[in-house]
Amino acid sequence: MPPARRARRRGPEVYRPFLATRYLLARPVSWLAMAAIGIGVAALITVVSVMNGFLRDTMAFVRGTTADVLVLPAQGAGGGRSASREDFERVVREHPGVAAVCSRLVRPAVVKVHGAANLYLNDTQAGDVNFVNVLGIEPADEARHSDLLKYLRQVELPHLRVREVGEADAADPPRAPDPARLFALDRQAIRDRSLANADLPRILIGEERMAGLGLSPGDAVELVTLPDDVDFGSQSLASRTGTFVIAGAFRSGKYEFDMQSMFVTREAFRDWTATRQELSEMAVTARDPRQLDQLRDQLAQGLRAAGLDASVMTWQDRHRIYLSAVKVERNILSIVLAFFVLLTCTLTFSMLTMMVQEKVRDIGILSALGAPSLGVGAVFSTCGLFVAGAGGLIGFVLGEALARNVDPIKQWIRDVSGIEIFPSNVYAFKTLPSEVNTALDAAIVLATVVFAGIICMVPAWRAARLDPVEALRHE
Amino acid sequence: MSDAKVVLRATGLQRRFRMGQETVEILRGADLTLRAGESVAIMGRSGAGKSTLLHLLGLLDRPDGGTLELDGTPTQALSRAARARLRNRLVGFVFQFYHLLPELTALENTLLPKLIACGPFAWPGRRRAARAEALALLAELGLADRAGHRPGKLSGGERQRVAIARALVQRPRVLLCDEPTGNLDERTSDVIADQLFDLSHRHGTTLVLVTHDRELAGRASRQALLHEGRLDQAPAAEPGFEAEKAAPAPLQSSP
Repeated sequence: MPPARRARRRGPEVYRPFLATRYLLARPVSWLAMAAIGIGVAALITVVSVMNGFLRDTMAFVRGTTADVLVLPAQGAGGGRSASREDFERVVREHPGVAAVCSRLVRPAVVKVHGAANLYLNDTQAGDVNFVNVLGIEPADEARHSDLLKYLRQVELPHLRVREVGEADAADPPRAPDPARLFALDRQAIRDRSLANADLPRILIGEERMAGLGLSPGDAVELVTLPDDVDFGSQSLASRTGTFVIAGAFRSGKYEFDMQSMFVTREAFRDWTATRQELSEMAVTARDPRQLDQLRDQLAQGLRAAGLDASVMTWQDRHRIYLSAVKVERNILSIVLAFFVLLTCTLTFSMLTMMVQEKVRDIGILSALGAPSLGVGAVFSTCGLFVAGAGGLIGFVLGEALARNVDPIKQWIRDVSGIEIFPSNVYAFKTLPSEVNTALDAAIVLATVVFAGIICMVPAWRAARLDPVEALRHE
Repeated sequence: MSDAKVVLRATGLQRRFRMGQETVEILRGADLTLRAGESVAIMGRSGAGKSTLLHLLGLLDRPDGGTLELDGTPTQALSRAARARLRNRLVGFVFQFYHLLPELTALENTLLPKLIACGPFAWPGRRRAARAEALALLAELGLADRAGHRPGKLSGGERQRVAIARALVQRPRVLLCDEPTGNLDERTSDVIADQLFDLSHRHGTTLVLVTHDRELAGRASRQALLHEGRLDQAPAAEPGFEAEKAAPAPLQSSP
């Protein structure tokens, strides 16, 4: 049997990884390329994780302040009168996909501290415009179906916390909250103040707003709004003013919501505004939160069939622009960092190009010793793959470690340098969010190695194409 | 000698190179037949095509005409990969400038042809035997205690001996040496030449030497002169051969 036949199908010979390792170990630049790829991949993984966590938390809190689906009766032709609350509730509750409904009355108002002489409409400090949305709610419905109770518990400053809600919860978390206590006044907390306020209708206001107004539970606020039938042509606008006592503060985590929303009972709302309107919005809780689009379309259809004019939107529709802004931010950052990773991969390319130039004679020698030309090229592409693979692995480990510990790292930076890189009052989150997706991170590493592998083919191919006789003569 | 097996048969080898507009005919029909255990010294002027001939015989280059049989296998029609495999199994190269890989130790340089022939899964099984073989070869060349050194730590003579060990480690049929002592001082040259002839004799390897050194050439069983693109196999009376004497053999001390 001729030796040529005997030696057929040898597969990838052992000298390729062997020489590749030796070549790499002898060159500090390969460590540099490895580190660069590692840092690039780690940065990409960290940023993608943080941005995904940011998006997740943003969606969670946007969602938290918004119902699954909102039904907004048209305010146009029929006026508020035609929108009978019963009609709407009947149609909406009928739908099998609806778990619960909270009907609300909503009215914009101007808030001022009770007894203060002036309204500061243009107070520039802290963007403290005194316009608010007052929601007239059914306490029983809200306590059962919305996140209002949760927001009441999230209040950070202890003197603002609504005690009954918090304590009952701490002692016995799964118990159904008592809606009667939602607007209960903590007499202990207001014992130093005049108890004259205690008989006023109660209101719940955002922690930020309360702090901005310099108020505490037990203090009174005035809400000024316009009546239903405003005659804008008249010389003086009639207004409606109501005085409320603060029963508690809430914190949703979403600054705008905390600043602009106040809750009163439905009865107090109607007393204050004297409105004939029965329904401003309906917050619908879905049984299956994954099929909201379907539910929205069916509800819209059902309402139209019943002759009720309303717009129906999911919480994502409601916050579409805000959510897409966060998504765009995530995508742009990811693209920028992906380009950075590609850039570090080109470092492998230049490293290999230099190596091939430096190793021309070695290529001739290897050919003389019987290495096939493609095998010689493979020595160099193996070098590139080793660097990219090791760099990717470093980046994976580093990136996962960073992404899983962004918050401790943030704390550490604050402790060491005093720099707050993620102030919690600017963003809505107390901790730096991060959502680690190991499969995605592995895909990033894989893509890096594949890309590096592809661009390493160029110098490797150049090495394979060298004429061994020319290469041996090379000085 | 004449009934020994033919390991290399070259007939009418031609090789042309394009130099700009002109075509230079380096080889115009060189014939060479080598039997097992034979040794031949090829001499000739600088630029006569000695190295080119050696590259053709070692399958590093393809002739433009003529045929070459290696160990009974015609090589003209073989693919590049098949030629590389034949080269690995049948041919050993020794170069004037050693051509060792600087990143590898003497032992690893010696093992390189075996690494080239071996798949990664077969290697762990063969590693021990291959290392023993390479170490034995290095010991035969007096380099037993140098096996772990990189070429940079070795003298010129030692480097060339590592190169010889590397060329012989696959037990090739043909050992092709291009000025093997051309870069060494006289004493070292003698030692290297002794070892080269001794080893190739013991391993039954056919030796082809390209050299300017008449003394070295004289130790070969045959001499041939490469002149005007052809091999003259009985060159004693050839005037060109005498002229070669005048050309100074490069003598320099080992680094």
